Amino acid sequence: MKRIFLHPLPIRIWHWVNLAAFIILILTGAQIKMGDRLHLFSFETAVDLHSWLGFILIANYFIWLVYYLVTGNIKIYIPPLHKPIEFAKKALNQAKFYGFGIMVGDENPHHSTFENKFNPMQQVSYLAIMVLLIPLQLITGLLLWDPHLFSPVVNLIGGIQIADLIHILLWIFFSAFMIVHFYLATLGHTPMAHIIAMFKGYEELHEEHGHGEEHADSGEHGHGH
Amino acid sequence: MDKKYVSIFLIIAFMIFPLCVSAAKGVPKQDEVQLCLMCHQDTGLTKKLENKERLSLYIDGNQFMASVHRKVKCTGCHNDISMDAHPRVKTINSKREYSAQMYRKCRICHTDQQLSKNPLHSQLMARASCAECHGSHYVKGVKADKVAVQENIYCISCHRNQLVLTMKNGESLSLYIDQSMVGNSVHGKLKCTECHTGFSKTVHPVKSFNSKRDYSILTADACRKCHAEASKQFENSVHLSLLKTGNLKAPTCTDCHGAHSVASAKKDKTIGVTSCNKCHAEMKPSYEMSVHGKAFLKGKAEAPSCSSCHNAHNIESTTLTTKIKDGCLKCHKDAAKAHNKWLKNPPIALPTFAKAHFDVVSCAACHSPDAQRRIYLTLYNQKTKKPLPEEELAELLTTEPGKLKEGFDPNKDGKVDGQDLLKVFAGLFKKGVSTTFMGTMDVSNSVESHMIAPKAEAVKNCDNCHIPGTEFYNNVFVAVKKSDGKPTLIPAEKDTVRSVFSIVPVRKFYAIGGSSIELWDILFIIALVGGIAVPIGHISLRIIFSPIRSLRRMGKGGKK
Repeated sequence: MKRIFLHPLPIRIWHWVNLAAFIILILTGAQIKMGDRLHLFSFETAVDLHSWLGFILIANYFIWLVYYLVTGNIKIYIPPLHKPIEFAKKALNQAKFYGFGIMVGDENPHHSTFENKFNPMQQVSYLAIMVLLIPLQLITGLLLWDPHLFSPVVNLIGGIQIADLIHILLWIFFSAFMIVHFYLATLGHTPMAHIIAMFKGYEELHEEHGHGEEHADSGEHGHGH
Repeated sequence: MDKKYVSIFLIIAFMIFPLCVSAAKGVPKQDEVQLCLMCHQDTGLTKKLENKERLSLYIDGNQFMASVHRKVKCTGCHNDISMDAHPRVKTINSKREYSAQMYRKCRICHTDQQLSKNPLHSQLMARASCAECHGSHYVKGVKADKVAVQENIYCISCHRNQLVLTMKNGESLSLYIDQSMVGNSVHGKLKCTECHTGFSKTVHPVKSFNSKRDYSILTADACRKCHAEASKQFENSVHLSLLKTGNLKAPTCTDCHGAHSVASAKKDKTIGVTSCNKCHAEMKPSYEMSVHGKAFLKGKAEAPSCSSCHNAHNIESTTLTTKIKDGCLKCHKDAAKAHNKWLKNPPIALPTFAKAHFDVVSCAACHSPDAQRRIYLTLYNQKTKKPLPEEELAELLTTEPGKLKEGFDPNKDGKVDGQDLLKVFAGLFKKGVSTTFMGTMDVSNSVESHMIAPKAEAVKNCDNCHIPGTEFYNNVFVAVKKSDGKPTLIPAEKDTVRSVFSIVPVRKFYAIGGSSIELWDILFIIALVGGIAVPIGHISLRIIFSPIRSLRRMGKGGKK
């Protein structure tokens, strides 16, 4: 059985804290927003949890940011824009795989390695999420947390309703995204392969894969690239 | 023993008096005064009139001799007194009647022509007897008075009488001044002419005014001379705005402070309640029932009167402003800290968090627990940061003041809702006026806003504001300020602030949860359903295609 190292410890911690925080934030967010229809928590409990977890999420974001900036590995998020046509082709292939190839038993065109973890579709969407959408969600969350404290920023964007609009639309997006993200995570060579990898750091490779052996089981620092 | 001496003295006096009078028949005039004074210098000499009043007959000889009439002697005026018959029993009904009778005696020397030379004097003569201004026995002469007498005494010499000024509309203004009242007032040391400019001991123009109200409005200018700051503040008040629109009930300085009995508002705090109650009587019971009113009535020094919160001079209409809160915060300085004890905002509730609430929620909305609650949306001009006045707004919305409901219902469906607010906003934006509806959460009327209960009874429940569909969101009003400061309220549909159309026009009003946009709830559910549909659809397709996968694996010589 070959193993490939994909997820270093800080990123695994970041990921699972993110997951827990996102689920609770989405639920408490729904409770705060739909207090007339939903009765999971009281408004006060929902706000308590939402605020605490909001700040935990901010701190957690910095674990991700600092790790990737310090190691320089942030480049795995950057699509090869100097080769746009090749990238577009790859992205199209990946879409084709998920839309059709996977049905008929084609092989996944992308083979994750530590240094090339994301397929082109993941690369684009994760870059947008990590660099734009999550910061936007955290910032608008902060504005809503104490609008008077951040009133210069609130006024700059037009008003507190604009901050709320961004926060709510992103809440809706993340809610749908999490479901799809979870489903896509089950599309490894076994339904649990990617998920276990996110716990252990290593993904066990399908035996048919000849690819990736060179990186296999070489430890966190031992891979050849 | 003493009584005996008095009796003996009186018997001797009565015996001597006829002798004196008979001797006086041939008395030269210069001695006449001395003769009269023999009796009239007695300070206790009085005469009981028919109406039971007592008329003093005492004359201060020295003062009389210093008067201008010293040469006229006694009988010059009292020409009906006969030396033969004095003291005969003369019937006098009242002091008033007597002074009227004596007034005729002045005319012996002072002709009508002379007296009517000054038009004011001729007016006065119709109202008052000569003695009422000039005195009776010690007349100094006007020229001497003007020099010698202190100004206030000179003025009061006429104004201590029941003088009346008739206005053009027929109203009568009493010109009577109670000297002690002025003396005890905070202006007691001022000269009359410091306020009544244009008058002096030598100048007294005859003035005429349309009405008493006109007069009090015009005389407010006099206050401005010394009270510049208060006057400046008054210029920004709802009271002056009302006056400018011709509302004659609106108060000017003297309506609250009084004209001549001005009390020190610093020492006399009741002025901050009693003067307001003259017009705002409907607030009195709610104030008196409130925790503030009860403390005030008990005489607690720190208890607030009306002016403590509303200010004395720069009073604004409170429906459209959260400024009234400054009045509360003047005393409740640690309000932010106190509120943050229960307003949770983990991990740390900063003072600004309480202020975020104060920006929007009136104090009464929670501290007047029995009140009905509303949301007021006021259209502000973004540039001036002030509410658009009704007149200006009516012009911009091409309607008339008073018909603003039509202006706020551009889609003409008879309701004011989010779509209407957006259309109004867009319409004004096209005309170059950038606006925003500022929202406040308040009670339904000013009476309720005074019913402040003790702290323990205040509403301490997030749900009131932060759960959609509560009282606030069912009672939404568009408030427009008239130029007189009073608001016009236009009822809007419930949940207007929760409409997706309201996001932009009402972008600065927000209560987390409570004002949440309903459409996003639906979008959230669609997103969840869509999110779940993706794996279900994909799995379904995978199941459908599974035979093909199996075949391909077989073809590849798969393991199974």
